[in-house]
Amino acid sequence: MKVAEFARALGGDPSQGVPPTFGIVVAAQAWESMFGDPELGLALHRIVHGDQKFSWQRPLRTGDTVTATLRIEQVRERGGMQMITSSVAIATIDDEPIGTAVATFVHTPEPVA
Amino acid sequence: MSAREDDRVGALEVGAALPAIHHTLTRESLIRYAGASGDFNPIHFSDRIADAMGLPGVIAHGMLTAGLAARVVTEWLGDAERIVGYQLRFTRPVVVPDTDDGVELVLSGTVTAVDDATATITLDARCGDERVLGGAKVTVTRG
Repeated sequence: MKVAEFARALGGDPSQGVPPTFGIVVAAQAWESMFGDPELGLALHRIVHGDQKFSWQRPLRTGDTVTATLRIEQVRERGGMQMITSSVAIATIDDEPIGTAVATFVHTPEPVA
Repeated sequence: MSAREDDRVGALEVGAALPAIHHTLTRESLIRYAGASGDFNPIHFSDRIADAMGLPGVIAHGMLTAGLAARVVTEWLGDAERIVGYQLRFTRPVVVPDTDDGVELVLSGTVTAVDDATATITLDARCGDERVLGGAKVTVTRG
């Protein structure tokens, strides 16, 4: 049902299978734990998506039960902004690798009062 | 595998253009995508917060544009399962005004590399004259 809702939100036909960018829904669950981590001091509304790369060993399929494991690969400072590269490995609960979603986010820190 | 799909994969020659998709985005499109994707960043629905963040207006989710662009490949092949890679940069924000007409995106693709195992399709996403995705490439298996 979530897959069909996602396909329709892209103006596509839900009968044509899982959209290739649906992995973002899985990755976003992992991002949420990063964005919401008080130690990292990030704020969702201060984050812009810079780039995205998916690599699939096999397609995500309806009915898969998966895990998402996030690694912060790199943090760079540029012009007062933080460029955060994160990698989310997606696998089945039986540890069959499905793919990886690598994203760069641009975070503008809260102005110092 | 359907005969149609087999033909299409066989027809992946460098330089071949895939049929373009024209898609109109309105504020409703952004709300639907937010709900479907779980991305509730308020820069995609609140003028107030978009303005406070120095953006030119409420902007579309980058992955919404990316998902629309990927349809150029999936609808032509009729098979999303052939996609083994997809990469892109978000080069310009797509501002979506709060109007009935919204804003139109034109998504297109060209085959830019073919080998025995895979083919690469380079995608272009335009909002007016502006390219809103950079380095957008889809890799599909031919086997």
